[in-house]
Amino acid sequence: MKMLYKPSIWLPLLSLVVVLGGWEVVGRSINPLLFAPPSEVIKQLNVMIASGELAAAAKITMQALFLGYLLAVVVGIPFGIIMGIFDRFGDILQPYLYAIFSTPRVVVVPLIVVWFGIGFEARLFLVFFWAAIAISVNTAQGVRHARPDLVEVARSFQANRMQMARHVLIPGAIPFVLAGLRIGAERAIVGVIIGEMFLQIVGLGGIITQGSSDLLPAKMLCAVVVIASMGTIIVTALDMLERRFQSWKGTV
Amino acid sequence: MKTRSNREIRRDQIVGVLIFLTIWEITARFLDNKLVLPSVSQIMAAFWDLLISGELILALSESIWLLVVGLFISTVIGFILGALVARSRTAYWMLNPYFSALFATPTIALVPLVLVWFGFGFPGRVIVVVLAAVVPIMFSVASGLRDDPKDLVDVARSFGVKGELALLFRVRVRAALPVLLAGLRLAAGRGVVGMAVAETYLRLGGIGGLIKSYGSLFQTDYVFASILPLSLLGITIVSLIGRLERRFHWS
Repeated sequence: MKMLYKPSIWLPLLSLVVVLGGWEVVGRSINPLLFAPPSEVIKQLNVMIASGELAAAAKITMQALFLGYLLAVVVGIPFGIIMGIFDRFGDILQPYLYAIFSTPRVVVVPLIVVWFGIGFEARLFLVFFWAAIAISVNTAQGVRHARPDLVEVARSFQANRMQMARHVLIPGAIPFVLAGLRIGAERAIVGVIIGEMFLQIVGLGGIITQGSSDLLPAKMLCAVVVIASMGTIIVTALDMLERRFQSWKGTV
Repeated sequence: MKTRSNREIRRDQIVGVLIFLTIWEITARFLDNKLVLPSVSQIMAAFWDLLISGELILALSESIWLLVVGLFISTVIGFILGALVARSRTAYWMLNPYFSALFATPTIALVPLVLVWFGFGFPGRVIVVVLAAVVPIMFSVASGLRDDPKDLVDVARSFGVKGELALLFRVRVRAALPVLLAGLRLAAGRGVVGMAVAETYLRLGGIGGLIKSYGSLFQTDYVFASILPLSLLGITIVSLIGRLERRFHWS
C-alpha cells in the first residue's frame, strides 16, 4: 500500500479526538432520552460491568454463538465435501441453499417461532443454519476447484488417491473453507443478535431491545459497542487466517 | 474432475425442484399441521390470494421504492466519501475506521437507535437501508479510485480533457467501473436485508410488514407465500447487477 495509508501518530489520534469530541458535544446538546455522549456510555458500561449484567448477557450470547457455530463447522465441512465430490448432488442442492442464504433472516423469524419456539434452540438454529450453509457451499467450491496444474503433476508422478487428497485436494480446498468460516462467522453473529432481539429478550441483543423500550440510549449504545467489537475481533481473526493461506489458492 | 454441461445441470435442477416439491407436499399432508408446515398447494393458494387482493403488489412496490431510494442515497454518499478517502490521507483516517466499525455491526442492532432518532416513518426506514448499504459502496469507490490509471489519464489529457473533476468522471470512474459494480452488488444484497429489517422492526408496510403481520397471526402459509417474493426480489437484483458487472469487465 502507498504511503498515504501508513499511519502517522497524530492523524489517528486527531481523528479519534474529533469524532469522540463531536459525539460528546452533540450528545450533550440532545435530549438525554434520545442520545448519549461517550462519557455517559462509558459510565454506563462501568455500571453494567460492576453489576455483572454485562458479563451475564455476554455469556448467554456467547453460548448460543459458539455452540451454534461449532455445530455449523462440524456439519458444514463434511457436508460441503460431499457436495463437492458428488457434483450432481451439489448442483441440485445449490439453488435452495442460495435462496435460503439470500433471504433476510428477520423475515424467517415467524417460521422459527413456529418450529423452535423462542428459546435457546431457536437462537441456536438462527446461528447454526446460515453459518452451516456458508461453510458447506464454500467447502464444496474448494473441493471442486482443485488446481488442474497440480492435479496433472501429481498424476504424472503416479500419486494414489490418498496422496492426491493429502497433498493436492485438501490443501487446495483450505482457502475456500477458511473463506466459508469467515462468512459463516459474520452470519452467526448477526443470527444470534436477531434471536435475542426478536425472540426471547436476553443477552447482548436483549440489552439493546430493553434499552430502547426503557429509553436508555446509553445502555443501548453500550450493547452496540460490545457487539461491534466482539464481531470485529472474531471476523478480523478469521480474516487474518484466511489471508495467511491465500497463496495456496493459486491463480484460478 | 469432469465438468458437466450447463444443460445437464439445468435438467437435473428442474428434476430436483419437482422431487423437492413432491416430497414437501407429501410430508405436509402427512403431518397435516398447517401451522408448522403448510403444503405446497396451501402456500400457492395463499400466494394467489395475496396476488388477487393486490396486497402483495402494494407491499412489494412499497419495498422496492424504499430499496431504490435507499440505494440511491447510499450510492451518492458512498461515492463522495469513497472519493475523499481515496484522495486524502486525512479523510481516510477521519472516516475509514468508523465505517469499518459500522460494517462490522449488525444493522439490526442499530435499528432501535434509528427509530428513536428518526421515527417510524419513511425517512427512518431509508436510513436503515443506507446504514446497511453505504459501506460496501464507499469501500469499492475508495479502492477503485485508488489505483491510478496513469496511462489512461495521460491519454485523456493529451486529448484535451481538463480539470480534476472531468478526469474523475470521464476517466477514473470508468476505469474503476467493474470494482464499483461489485460494490453495488454487495450493497444491494445488504440493502435488501436492511429493507427487511426496517420493515419488520417498525411493522409498517412493505413486504417485511406483511410477513410480520401474518407471522403474528400464525398464518404460516401466508408467511411462506410472502417470503418467497422477497427472496426472489433479492436474488433478481443481485444477479442483475452481477450480469452488468460481467459485461463491463474490461480490465
